[in-house]
Parts: sequence; C-alpha cells; structure tokens
Amino acid sequence: MDPTISGLIGAAEQGDVAAANALFSALYAELHRLAQRELGRPGAAVSLGATTLLHEAYLDMSAGGGPSFPDRARFMGYAARVMRGLIIDHARERHAQKRGGLFEITSLDTDAMENAVDHRELAQISEALDELGKLEPSLAEVVDLKFFCGFSFGEIATMRHVSERTVQRNWEKARIYLHRKIRADLSL
Amino acid sequence: MSTLKPDEWQALSPYLDQALAISEDERAAWLSSLAEQNPALAAQLVALLDEQRVLAQEGFLEKGRVELPGAPGLAGQTIGPYTLLSQIGQGGMGSVWLAERSDGRFERRVAVKFLNIALVGKGGEERFKREGSILGRLAHEHIAELVDAGISVTGQPYLVLEYVEGDHIDRYCDQQRLGVDARIRLFLDVLEAVAHAHSNLVVHRDLKPSNVLVRKDGEVKLLDFGIAKLLEGEGEDGAATALTAEGGHAMTPEYAAPEQLMGAPVTTATDVYALGVLLYVLLTGQHPAGGGFRSAADLVEAIVHTEPTRPSDIVAPTGANAEETTTNAARRTTTPDKLSRLLRGDLDTIVAKALKKNPKERYASVTALADDLRRYLDHEPIAARPDTIVYRAAKFVRRNRLAVALAILAFAASVTGVVATLIQSRTVRAERDFAFQQLALAGATNDLNSFLLSDAAPSGKPFTVNDLLDRAQRIIERQHGNDASRVQLLISIGRQYTTQDQDAKGRPLLEEAYRLSRSISDPSARAQASCALAEVLGHGDQLPRAEPLIQEGLRELSNEPQFAMDRMFCLLRGNEIARDSDDTGLAIARAQEAVRVVKQSPLDSDLLEFGVLDHLAESYRAAGKQREAIPVFEQAAALLASLGRDNTETASTLFNNWALALDQLGRAVEAERTFHQAIDISRADQSDRGVSPMLLINYARVLHSLNRLDEAADYAERGYATAQKSGAGVIVNQSLLERARIYDDQHNPDRAAAMLAEVEPRLRRDLPPGHYAFASLASEHARLQMERGNFVSALRYANDAVAIMEAAAKSGKGGGQFVPGVLEVRARVELAAGRPDEAAADAARALRMFQEAAQPVEHSRILGLAYLILARALAAQGKGDEARAAARSAAEHLQASIGPDHPDTLSAQQLAGLETQAR
Repeated sequence: MDPTISGLIGAAEQGDVAAANALFSALYAELHRLAQRELGRPGAAVSLGATTLLHEAYLDMSAGGGPSFPDRARFMGYAARVMRGLIIDHARERHAQKRGGLFEITSLDTDAMENAVDHRELAQISEALDELGKLEPSLAEVVDLKFFCGFSFGEIATMRHVSERTVQRNWEKARIYLHRKIRADLSL
Repeated sequence: MSTLKPDEWQALSPYLDQALAISEDERAAWLSSLAEQNPALAAQLVALLDEQRVLAQEGFLEKGRVELPGAPGLAGQTIGPYTLLSQIGQGGMGSVWLAERSDGRFERRVAVKFLNIALVGKGGEERFKREGSILGRLAHEHIAELVDAGISVTGQPYLVLEYVEGDHIDRYCDQQRLGVDARIRLFLDVLEAVAHAHSNLVVHRDLKPSNVLVRKDGEVKLLDFGIAKLLEGEGEDGAATALTAEGGHAMTPEYAAPEQLMGAPVTTATDVYALGVLLYVLLTGQHPAGGGFRSAADLVEAIVHTEPTRPSDIVAPTGANAEETTTNAARRTTTPDKLSRLLRGDLDTIVAKALKKNPKERYASVTALADDLRRYLDHEPIAARPDTIVYRAAKFVRRNRLAVALAILAFAASVTGVVATLIQSRTVRAERDFAFQQLALAGATNDLNSFLLSDAAPSGKPFTVNDLLDRAQRIIERQHGNDASRVQLLISIGRQYTTQDQDAKGRPLLEEAYRLSRSISDPSARAQASCALAEVLGHGDQLPRAEPLIQEGLRELSNEPQFAMDRMFCLLRGNEIARDSDDTGLAIARAQEAVRVVKQSPLDSDLLEFGVLDHLAESYRAAGKQREAIPVFEQAAALLASLGRDNTETASTLFNNWALALDQLGRAVEAERTFHQAIDISRADQSDRGVSPMLLINYARVLHSLNRLDEAADYAERGYATAQKSGAGVIVNQSLLERARIYDDQHNPDRAAAMLAEVEPRLRRDLPPGHYAFASLASEHARLQMERGNFVSALRYANDAVAIMEAAAKSGKGGGQFVPGVLEVRARVELAAGRPDEAAADAARALRMFQEAAQPVEHSRILGLAYLILARALAAQGKGDEARAAARSAAEHLQASIGPDHPDTLSAQQLAGLETQAR
C-alpha cells in the first residue's frame, strides 16, 4: 500500500522523532480506516479482534511495500503501540457516546473486559507504560502486544524469535513496574 | 510506597531477570547470598518480588476486571467514625457510598464521596483540608451540609456529606404540577442558598437540576457545593475545569456559561448564568439553546453564539410542536396560550438578563436576580430593562460581518435567483481544518484524540473545547525548552479559539506565536505561524495584512514531502483569504495546488483529500465557474460517503453548496434532489431544528423554479420562521423576498404585497441607498404590479430596478451578474404592457448576457426562460420564424432542466409549433 511506511519505520528506528510521529499518525489513520472498512462490510462481525485487525493491516501494508518492507516483528512493535492509543481513545469515546460507536474492538477474549475497564484506568496504565518504554522498550512492547492487542505468549515469542519463557519473564517484570508505578501515583 | 526512579530500576532490572528465571525454591537461597553482598539492593528486590506475588494473585492486567491497586473500600469498611453500607452511585469525581456512624449513635445517614486521587494532584492534601473546613462553615438550611472531609489510611481523600433523598428540582416541579408562581418561589430558595455561598466566597460552578434536589417535604437542598473548587491544584488561579466529569469523561455542557466553554475563569456570574438556564427550564420545560443538536460541538456553538428564544415565545404553540407545548403547559397547570401570556414581559426580561452572553451584562449578583423575581411576584416593576429588536439585530450584523456579506449577495430579484452559501459553512470547514492540522501537528501535541474530535460521529457525541485546551496547555508546560514546539502549540490553541469565533482570545496567542517564530529557524513552525496569523487577521477585516503573511509562509516551505502538510495548511488559508478578497483566480490557483500537494504526500488520506477538494469546489463556484465546480463537488461527496461521513454537518454543507452550483447552472431538477439531501442530513428529527434557514430558502427557491409552488411557499415560510427564531435578520429579508415572488406566481398579490411591505423598511435600515438589493425590491414591486394589472406602475418600477442595478454594477458595488435578471423582468412587463419592441430588445440583451456568463453547452433553465421571453416578444412583433426558432431553443433548455411537464416548457413547445402569432 504505501512504500514510505517502511521509510518512516527505518527513520524512526534511527531516532528521528519527526518520523516516529509521522509514522504514528499514518498507522493510526490506517488502522482506523481499516477498522471502519472491516466493520462496514455487509456481514461483518460486530466486534473485531485487535489481533485480526493488526494482521490485516500488516498484510495490507506489506503487500505494496516491496521486499524492503520491515518484517512482522518490527511492524507489530509500532502497530501495537498505535493500537493501544486507538483502544484507549475508543474506550473514552464509548463512555462518552450514548448510542452507537465508531467501532467496537475487543482486545481480550473475555467479553467481561468490555464492560469493566474504565478508560481512565487504561490511561493511567498507558502513561506508566510510556515511562517504562523509556527505560526498557521491549517490556512495554510485550504489554502492548499482550494486554492491548491480545497476542498470546506463543505468538509474541514467534514474532520476536525468542523463547516463550523469555516473553513470560518480560511480562512479569513489566507488571511489577506498572503495578509499583500506579500504586505510587495513587498514594500521592 | 515510593515510586522507582529510573536509575533504581536500571540497577534492579538485570537482577529481576535472574530472580524470575529461577524457581521459587532456588530463589530464597539466591537472595540470601545476594543480601550478603548488597543488602540494600536485596531488600528492594524482596519488596518487588513480594509485590509480584500479590499482583499475580490479583490477576493484575490478566483478568477482565482491571482493579487499580489501592482502590477504595468495600461495604463494611470504616472511614473515620463511619461505616460504609452500600454504594449509591458513581458521582462526579469518584464513587459515592451510603454510610452511618459506627458507634450506633442515631444520627442522620451520610453520603461518603471518594475522590479520585489522580485529580487531587500532588500537594493537594493540605489544600484539600483547608477547603474542607471552609465548606464546613457553609451552614444553610438549603445546602447539603459538608459534615467532614479527610484522607483515609489508604491515602484516599473523601468527603462526608449530608445524605439527601429527593427528586431533581425539574422533575419535582413537573410531578407536583407546580404553576409558574410556585416554581419561582421554590427557585428563590435555591437562590438563597447560592447567595449564601457567594457571600462566603464560594462558587458552585456546577449548578444543574441533578444538583438541586427537593425532598418529599418540599425542602430544597443544593448538592456538590464547591466540590470542583476543592480539586484545583495550586497555581491554576481560578480556572477550574469547566465541566463536571461523570465517570471520568466530559458531559454535555448544557448548563455551562459561554465563558466557561471558552476557558475563562469561573466567577459568581457563571453561577448566575447556570441559574438562568435552570429558571428557563423550570418555566418553559425547554432548554434555552434549543434542542435536537447533532453533536455537543453544535450545542457549544449555540450556547456561545445564539440568543435564546424568549420564554414566552418558546412555550407558545405553533404547528409542529403543539403536543410538546401542551404537555409542558399542563405540567404547569395551565395551557400554552395562558403560559405564554404569563411569561411575556417581566419574566422574559429577567430570564434574558440572567442569560446574557457577556457576564458583565448579567445580574451583578444572585441577590439582584432574587430581588427582581420577588418584585415580579409582588407585581412591582422590575429593575432589568428589556432588549430592543434593533439592539439584537445590530449585534448580529457586527458579529457576523462576513456572514452578512455573503448573505447579502443573495439579493437577486430575478428569475436567476443567485444565492448565498450557508453562513455556518465557514465555521464547519474551519473546525475540520483544525482537525487535519492536529493530525499534522501530531509531533507537537502527541495527541491524536483531536482526530476523533472532528465531526466523525454524526450525533450526540459530547465534545469539550476545554479538553483540548487543557491537554494542550499541559503539554506546553511539559515542553518548555523547545521553541518550535511552543510555537506550534500556541498556534494550536489560538486556532482553536478562532474556529470557535473567539478571535479576541485567539489573536493574541497567534500574534505571540508569530513573534516567537521569527527567532527560530524551523521552517514548518515559521510558516504555520505566518499562515495561522493571516487567518485570524482575515476574520478581523485586516485582509491587506493577511495576504503578505500567506505569501511569506509559502515562501518558507520548499517542496519536500516533510512540508506537505504545512504547505497544505498555508494554501488552504491562502485560498480562504483570496476568496474573502474576491480574488477568485488566486483562490482557485491555491486550491488546485493544495490538491496536488495532498495527492503527492505520503500522508494522503481520503479525509485530507476531502478537505482540499471541498475548498476547490467552493472556490470554483464562488468564481462563477459552476461547470468546473460540479465534478469536484461530486468527487468530494463520493469521498465523504466512503469515509462514512455522508450524514454529518460537513456533508450537509457540501450538498448545499453543490446544489447551489447546480442551481446556478439552471439544472433545477438535480439541484432539488441535492438540496433535499442536505436538508435530510441536517434535520435531527421531524422538525426543522438544526436545519439552516438559508438552506430552507434555497430549497424553496428551487421548488419555485420547478413550479411546485405550494411546497415552495411552505419551505419559504419555514425558512422565515427559523430565521426569525435565530435572529438572523438578513436571512429573514431573503425569505420575505422569496415569499413575495412565490405568492406572485400563486396569483396572490395581496400576500406578496405584505411581504414587500415588511421587508422594505428592514432593507432601508440595514443597507446604504444605492445597494443593488433595492433593485431587487423594485423588480419585485414591478412583478406585483404586473400581477395586479397596473402596467404603468409596473413599468416604472421595472425601469427603477434596471437603473439601480446598472448603477451599482458600474460603480463596482456588485450586482453585475443580476443585471440580465432585472432586464428580463422588465421585458415581461413591457410585453404585458403592449410594447413588444422594447420587450424584444431587453430580452435579447438579457439573453446575450446570460449566454456570456453561462456555459453554452449546458441545458439551463436560465437560458430557457430567457429564450422564452424573447420568443414571446418576437411573436408579438410579428416575427414568426425568429419567434419559433427562439421557442425551440427555449423548449430544448427547459425540457432538460425543469422537466417536460412544467407550464413554461409546455408554453415553449406550443410556441415553437404554432404557425400564427402567439399571445
């Protein structure tokens, strides 16, 4: 679809802040549009798994990207972060709307998630994640992939070419950091 | 519990890796050996690992329900001397619990309200306690008492309030069927309470029915008093969050004062406004800003700009809302007519004064409002002075100069009926441009919520201006080093104000942004600053200063892809300014280039494309190039549909403009269809609420041209009524002229005359003497006289019309495109008065002018009718062959543009087929 996405990913990885932001915007717009499209089709599922959406996005974008299009892992790293933003925005908006929604995304298998999570809690998690991302980006990425996008340990391990055990360990570490950070913020 | 500093985490991280890699059993041994080498580190690790066990048990981030650690207590827990019984709600800033004293002493039950710590902020503890004691001193029979305040052992701030069981005041009044006087008396209790608080320097900030309860015994109790004030952090100098959050998100701002929505500091006058809204609701059963809003952005717009309809008018029964007014009146134990009479006069005045947009014009205090209400109850004269109509109309003209200019363009008498664009369209476009701009400036704000804040949701979606401004300001504070970011953020906020028509607030920010930008080198920020400043200057009639700024901005930006968004921004602003300066060529050139830029950009998206195509189409249309405009309109509409936004405000505007272009080309059938679509979209319900009056009149005009006279009259009348309601004087004039034309064609000259009688003094008051609108007026008089058979008089008027129109056109005051129209009317009069030669001459001249202006290959109603008049005149002169030729052309044009069944089409066909002279 868009060869310059790879260019932006490349530049962003080299520390180009403007490229990183442009990438975020482009991915956000793209995912948003894809979600709309998927849900707008006749016979579309009422809710759309985030993982499905991300797979679609990857297929879509890499198709026109040529051989230099980044592999799944690198793509997913960015896209998962974007997906976090979309989910939080969506949760915030769904609270705000009385009827209908832009689109429904379920990120976990259990439907209980939909009703239970407060968007402000999500926002707090997101803020803490951003902090963690500055210290250990791979940890934040695991949380994005697992919690917000619903990938399993196995899938994440495959994408990153590491063992499942490693992914689990990263997950535990990340949880420790987030838990501590959020509790600390709460008690002033 | 302290947070981990980054360097602490870095130190611990590798050890955590190791600890988590080994089993629990091995871990104990490993830890003790670590403790020997580095006790401090080991201790921290142990704490973290303990925490990990807890969170694993809790299922933190695993299960569906995400409980934040440290959330407030469950039933049975104690808070100070109270025991929590049950949760009674999710209140403004946290959960609310019913509680009673733990020692069993029989005192009243209380409501314990937990506040979300995230909102109190660091260092809020002391301030919280201080505020608590101030509020505790607010003892008043009509205020729910604040019994206690504190911070729980888990660090959760809470308030203990008197528990009130009662109904919201509006529901109470309706259920009890209280009449107007009884409601006012109850309302006076509310005012007493608020006045008491004000005298203790406490402002409520959130007065609305759900915060004013009435107990079964009829006692009024105000809730949530000054709670918002408690949550301010230090150093925010009174600028509290404007709108309460229910469950953490923004509510619709129905009781918010205009200044609250603009982010100005909240004062006692803000409470007066909210009380005004409450009084309005209690008296009428309706909201002063009206109803049926498609989005909260529209509601905000209405609150800030639209003068509320007088209470006596809104309760009066009219055709559409008879049922509603009857119900509302019944709830006040009366009928709509009687209610209207009761409210007329003093109560109208009192409510109006409480609801003034400008806080300085409102009642200076709640006590003053209460005094006037008491005087009303005692039948004494009140202190407030009523508005005069002149004052209201004058204000409208000043505030909306550009809109007025656009609307006045629509004063064309003639058959062609050239029209104006929707007044709203400019604001809607600006809001959308701002959303694009936000997308482009994601680097600066790092906040893509604005992408969702554009009119993506068709209806009911709350939107707060303040959300965006708050976010932006917080970001400015975080990023204080970097000047380019600062400039961009100032621009963001400044533009946000200008799109809300708050140029006075936006302009200083944009001037500052421009000033700052001169000393940095980043071309993107420099260009944006120039062009954003140009935009706001253009609004303020400083077009001469605006244009050079646009050029300056464009010069900064090379053609590299990274500047694509900035180029687009400058080109679109430049396009708007060129349009305002009537430099149509430049406007078109800039819009075309913007289209090119977007198409070549990596960030090209349907949304961005739509934004530029919309500008391009409108630029063509305004330049009279309807033929070029229409395919662009079609493209834009298709994009909107594929974006799923074809039932939004933007779409309605687009369809209106498109339909105008079609109408101007004389493609009436297509225009009718497209106008209808525009109306359907903007209609929120069965009534005309939400539909722009100009759109209704445009539609009436096209129906008129299709000879659907009864429908046309209906729409024109509705446009008139809606325009009256919203105080849009110039549109009222439009509607009167159009109605006159319709009534003429319905052979109802008396009604037509009444319309002209009504509009003439208005025009004389608002416009300078040589204005071409008077030519239109004269032309209408001519038609009226012709309808009555007074040909001499008609001819005199027709001559006047031509003279005025030509003079105006010659002196460059516009009206040039309307000259053929008045010539055509004169031709008709001359024909009817038995002067075929003059008729033929005028008709031929008019036809020539139309042909020059129009694109010859189109089938056009305008040309068709011109041919028809000419044909009739030629026939009257005895020039049969020429007449028939003209009639054939007429028939061809008319058949295609207004349909084969239209009387004019039939007439033309008849004329074309006859051997002998026609009538």
